[in-house]
Parts: sequence; C-alpha cells; structure tokens
Amino acid sequence: MSLLAVIEKELRMFFRYPLRVISVTLIGIVFLLQFVFFGEAVLGGRYSQILASSTGLGDYPTYALIGYILWWLFASPMEAYVWGVRRELQRGTLETNVLAPIRMIKFLIGLSLGWILIDNVLMGIVFIFGVIVFKIPVSFIIILKAVPILILSFIAFLGFGMIFAGLVMLFKHIGPLTQIFEFGVMFLSGVFFPTTVMPKTVQAIGNAIPLTHAIEAIRGIFIGKSYAELIPTIEILLVLTFFYWLISYALFKYAEKLTRVIGYGGY
Amino acid sequence: MYAIEAENLKKSYPKKIPLPFRKVEWVNAVNGISFKVKKGELFGLLGPNGAGKTTTIKILTTLLEPSGGDAKILGYDIRRDVREIRRRINLVAEGERTLYWRLSAYENLKYFARIYYVPKSVEKERIEELLKLVGLWERRNDLVMGFSRGMKQRLAIAKALINDPEVLFLDEPTLGLDVQSAIFVREFVRKLVDEHKKTVLLTTHYMAEAEELCDRIAIIDHGKIIALDTPEGLKRLVKDEDAVEIKVKDFNPEKLRDAPFALAIVKEDPTSNLTTLRGQIDEEDLPKVVEWLVKNNAKILSVEEKEPTLEDVFIKLTGRAIRD
Repeated sequence: MSLLAVIEKELRMFFRYPLRVISVTLIGIVFLLQFVFFGEAVLGGRYSQILASSTGLGDYPTYALIGYILWWLFASPMEAYVWGVRRELQRGTLETNVLAPIRMIKFLIGLSLGWILIDNVLMGIVFIFGVIVFKIPVSFIIILKAVPILILSFIAFLGFGMIFAGLVMLFKHIGPLTQIFEFGVMFLSGVFFPTTVMPKTVQAIGNAIPLTHAIEAIRGIFIGKSYAELIPTIEILLVLTFFYWLISYALFKYAEKLTRVIGYGGY
Repeated sequence: MYAIEAENLKKSYPKKIPLPFRKVEWVNAVNGISFKVKKGELFGLLGPNGAGKTTTIKILTTLLEPSGGDAKILGYDIRRDVREIRRRINLVAEGERTLYWRLSAYENLKYFARIYYVPKSVEKERIEELLKLVGLWERRNDLVMGFSRGMKQRLAIAKALINDPEVLFLDEPTLGLDVQSAIFVREFVRKLVDEHKKTVLLTTHYMAEAEELCDRIAIIDHGKIIALDTPEGLKRLVKDEDAVEIKVKDFNPEKLRDAPFALAIVKEDPTSNLTTLRGQIDEEDLPKVVEWLVKNNAKILSVEEKEPTLEDVFIKLTGRAIRD
C-alpha cells in the first residue's frame, strides 16, 4: 500500500506538468531520428552488408531502434533514482519521507517505479513511432519471444540503477554525472554501432554492462535466433544481474548508514 | 517512563563525506546534552540560530545518528528501534517546503497517511478531522502551491498529526509566520498538550513564545544546555536584579566587547543608527553605565526599567542576546 502511495504521488505530480509529457516524447523521437538518419547517411543506405557480417543484423533502423529502446530502458532506473531523490531534495520533502516508518529502500523503489512506468509508456510511443516510420519488420512472435529477455534485462537494469540510489544518497548532486555515464554507456554497449569497432579494452568495459548483453539478445531474437542459441548471452546477463544487485544492495546499506551520520541534506 | 530521555547527546558533522581512507575534519554541533521530558509535557529548546536545536531534534527524531551519548523516545532506543520510534512520533520541520505543493491538501494527507501505515478504515475520517481542526477543510481540494505561508504551516501540523503521534516535535513552528498565524499555531500547540495529551518538544528562538507556551525550557547555546527550568524558575535567576533597556544612537556595538558591564544588543536599526541595549544593572551602577556609553560616543535616547524576561536570563548566562 505504501509503495503504491509513492508511485501514485509521483504519477499525479508528473501529470500536473502536462508539457513535460510532450517534451520527453519529442526529445525521444528527435534523438532516434537523427541517429537513424546519420547512420543511414554514413552506411550509404538502410541496409549494410558490413553491419550484417559483423552483427548478423544488417537493417540499420532495426539495429538502432533496438539499441536505442533498450538504452532508454537501461537509463530509466538510474534517472529515476537519481532525479527522484534530487526532486525530493529540491521540494524539501526528502526528510519528511525519511521520517515516516516506510523503509527507505521501499520509498526509493516507489519513486523510481513511478518514473520508470511513465518512461516506459513514453518509450513505447517512441518504439511504435520508429516501427511505423522506418517500417521495421516486427511480428507478434518476435515481440512475444522478446518479452522474457526484456523482463530479465529490466531486472538487471534495476539492480544496476540502484547503485546510483546509493550514490545519490551520499553525494546528492550527481545528476549531471549520471547523464555523462548514460551517454558513455551508449557507446560502450553498442547502441548505435557495433562495439567491435572499438579497442579491446573498451569492449571489455562494455561487456561488464548488462545493456550490452541485453541488446545482443534482443537483436538475436529479431534475426530469428532461438533461445538455445542465446543461452551464453542470457547466462552472462544472469550473472551480471546477481552481481549488480549484490553490489547495489551493499552500497545502499552503506549509504543509508552514512547518511544518518552526515544528514539527508534536508531542511 | 519518560517520553524523551537524552543522556549526554553529542553530534559532530564531517566537513566532507567521511569515505574510507579519507581524512575528514569534524565540527561539533551538540556537545553533551541531557534532559528528560515527561509524558504530556510541553518542553522547549530555546536558543539562538546555530545553537544546536535543530540537530538535537534531528537526533531525537532518528534523522541523524548521534556521535555520542544515548537517547530514548517512549523507552525506545534511537539507534536500535528506529522504525518503532518513527511510528510513534512526528515532526513539523522548519520552513514551508515540507509538503508537496503540486498536490492538494487532501492528497498530501492521504499520501502521508499511507506511508505512515494509518489503517484504511480510519484514514478518511482522520484526514477530514485534521483538515477541519486546522481550518482547511473548505480548501481541501486546492493545490498547496496556492496556500499562504500560514496555511501551509497549518497543513504541515495536520500532516504531523496524521499518525496520531504520542510525541510531536516542532522545529521553529512560527518562524516566518504573520502574527495571526503565529497565534493560531501557538494556541493549537497548547491545545494539543492540554486536550489531546500529546507530548511536545519545540524549538524556538522567540523568548515570548517559549515563555508563553512551555511547561519547561532548556536554554541551549553552542550545543550545550546552559539552564533548564520552568519559565518562572528561569526568571528567578534574574529576579533580584533590575532589567534595564537603553536606547542609544551612533554607538559602535564593537565597543561592547570591552564594556565592564553585562550589556547585550537586543535590537539594531542600521538605517537610523539606533541600538537597543539590555542588561541587569543595579541602580547604583546605572550612572556609571550611562557615563561609559557617553564616553564611547553614544547619544542616550532613553533608559527604561523593564520586567525581567527570558532574554535577561540568556544575557546573564551568555553575555549575549538572542536575536531574530
């Protein structure tokens, strides 16, 4: 009930700024369009043999749309935690919430789930827009096959994002740093181009990010791979999910303890 | 059992985040505070800004962990029993931004009722009762952003009562309020203790407020309690001495450092260069004080004998006045 109350409060407040809904959707669409057109211009058209031979998926708009939507899904929990706490600090309401018997972790998850819910709806709109505008070959079977991978990816992303929940409690003003990180991930995880074009060390860093493997798995489904063929990728995703949840929980507990020493930065 | 027990409470803040392997300087905010508050008592922490009042409240409400000492709220340990305490207390924090301005008054209370686990069966009734109690029922569906400062504070009090707390903490509850709203808040707080049998701990730097409201007052300065008694008991400290208020013009307040008398500035008006000084001065010493002021270029505008107040107690104990 208390978790739902936090989510409901966030949703109510989000929709009290109607322009925000329009601006977030438009930014999402503009971002997608420019990357797809840029890619097509560089590749000399929609289809690329080079891309197909290195990734198995030669249709650039499909390639970019999958990467972009998953990147959005990946960034959403981070944004939600970081800006959720930031907004509460700006409103002066963080300590009012901390003082309530609701657990801090539950409150933060509520804050982020509200945001993620909104984000995913907007992302869905951008996805449908991309599918229609770029005539992406997507079927009901593909979507159905992608759902379990998407759920697993999302759990991994939530765990990864919670690291930022711990960080934001300690450092408070990490919004810009988070954005730099998100855009860095865009390159490291092969959102718009294959990571194979980058040095091996950079690729190794990219491999530690769950998004890289989530994108690989979903692209695999789009080119008709079976679950059996995707097992190695799914295994890595599972290991990373466990690893990041462990790390983020430990960091969060440490941050929670330290925050009671340094204060919540409230009133 | 006491409602609040604080034993040698200490709190230091780090100047930087104390990460492992990082050398950090610490600043003392509370330096060993001890006091006990009985159930149903209205207890005040009186002191100037930066005295450690808010830090003390934050420790007692479990928002901060003390660096030393112990405290119990309704018998629960503030380190160990955080959630138990949070269920039984509430806080009206300083400032007006403790509510969601983009939610209505009703939505705010409903939200806080949920995160305080108020049973669904009583939620609606309690919200209505509280909004009526603070006179905001008619405005329940209006967004808080349209409320005046006084209305926001009334709603903040209603919010703080949403879990029917046994102990209520109020941090500078009338700060920045207009006279009418301040009176409402004071009367309401007194009613909470007298009629609803709540235990209240409030901080203030308004002498009159502490004197009018509190059953007992702890005067706090530089993180330490320097006196603790009933308002009458505290005033007895200066009862035998006359309080004198002297209005002067063109006086350099810096000179007070070398004054051979305990005089403190209670009011300054830089535009007209007027200063009001106050202190406990015997009748026979008064001419010497006036002479000293004149020698230091002060133009004496008036000299008045006053009834001793808590301000005089503070001046006597610290040599300074509590100023707004």
